[in-house]
Amino acid sequence: MIRKLMVVSLLVLLLAASPIWAAENESGRLEITGVPEDVTAGRYDRQAGVFSADVTAIEGALVKVIFEEVEIVGQKMEWRTDDNYLIFTTGATLTKEDFTITGDTIEYFGDEDRLHAQGSVVVTTDDATVYADEMVYDEETDEAVFTGKVKVVFEDGVLEGEKFVMFLEKSELQFFGAFQGLFNTD
Amino acid sequence: MTLSTKAKRMIAVGVFVVAVIIFIIFRYVVEPPPPQEAVPPSVQLVESRLVGRKDGRRQWEILSQTVLQAGDVVTLSDLKEMIVYQDEEDYLTIDAPRAEWERKTEVLRLFGPVVVEGEDGFRLESDYLVWEGSRGMITSPGPVWILWHGMEITAAEMSMEPDSGLLHLRGDVEIRDQSMVWKTEEAVYNVDAEFMDFYGNVVLEGEMGND
Repeated sequence: MIRKLMVVSLLVLLLAASPIWAAENESGRLEITGVPEDVTAGRYDRQAGVFSADVTAIEGALVKVIFEEVEIVGQKMEWRTDDNYLIFTTGATLTKEDFTITGDTIEYFGDEDRLHAQGSVVVTTDDATVYADEMVYDEETDEAVFTGKVKVVFEDGVLEGEKFVMFLEKSELQFFGAFQGLFNTD
Repeated sequence: MTLSTKAKRMIAVGVFVVAVIIFIIFRYVVEPPPPQEAVPPSVQLVESRLVGRKDGRRQWEILSQTVLQAGDVVTLSDLKEMIVYQDEEDYLTIDAPRAEWERKTEVLRLFGPVVVEGEDGFRLESDYLVWEGSRGMITSPGPVWILWHGMEITAAEMSMEPDSGLLHLRGDVEIRDQSMVWKTEEAVYNVDAEFMDFYGNVVLEGEMGND
């Protein structure tokens, strides 16, 4: 069990190393690709400071945000520039090196330093995969909270429960409520 | 009959004086009447000031050093001042060395370098600008540079529909808005609503993250 928790700790460190929620005024890039020339790809409302893009009806079209080493890809997004808020919907994926988060929606609250993934959330690393209905990372409290049908799959075992919290700085894991573990023994 | 030398001299002097008088009359006093210049009903030619009107309302006014009318085309050179009016109020001031006004089609062509300035720091630069009076449409068939509402816009082509308030930008469109730079092949800016629609692929470069 201790060995398994060490593997999870590696996941913790990978999450902590991801800079999307820690970056300040870094240069980023948004790309909308695969859109025919005569089709509207996005709209920017200057008064509201909102940019929105929806390419769900266009086969092969993608919206991609590249920010430092982090890349978020989806087909529908909204960026509220005044609030520093970004939301990707319809099958969004966040990738950073060997670390990936997918979910129905991925939200980034820049002013609150918070990342929120919701709906069929899957966090994949080289060592483990975490499944949950929801994941919230709060930089201030330094917690990544997975809730709803949480399942942590290792190479040789599985942990399942309803709530799972990672304290990133302290590399601590906390399981709430009933949790079940199933491991293959050597 | 033999004339005396004195009489001959007097006759010679008289003939000379008459010749001089006739010459002066025809050279300096009697001039052929100026050719009749047909002034179209929509254009008033007052000295070197041209005024364009539509439905009786002043649309533009040009102060030009040289005015040449050939057929339906009025060519204006050495333009000193040009003002476009909207609801009888100054709307745009235009600086261009040469212009052509096609009376029948109501098309005004401005040859560059053309600089247009308006309210709120609006500035447009183009090498060739076309204004269609019937629709109020302003077109730059070539490269254009615009400064507007804090945005710096460049494009290979531009057209503006004042009635709908839509600014169409095409080809190598780049819109710099504070810390953001939009790059696309076509964009339409709704001036009144202040939103931009981007067509085709889009790239946005800028600062993201916390302030």
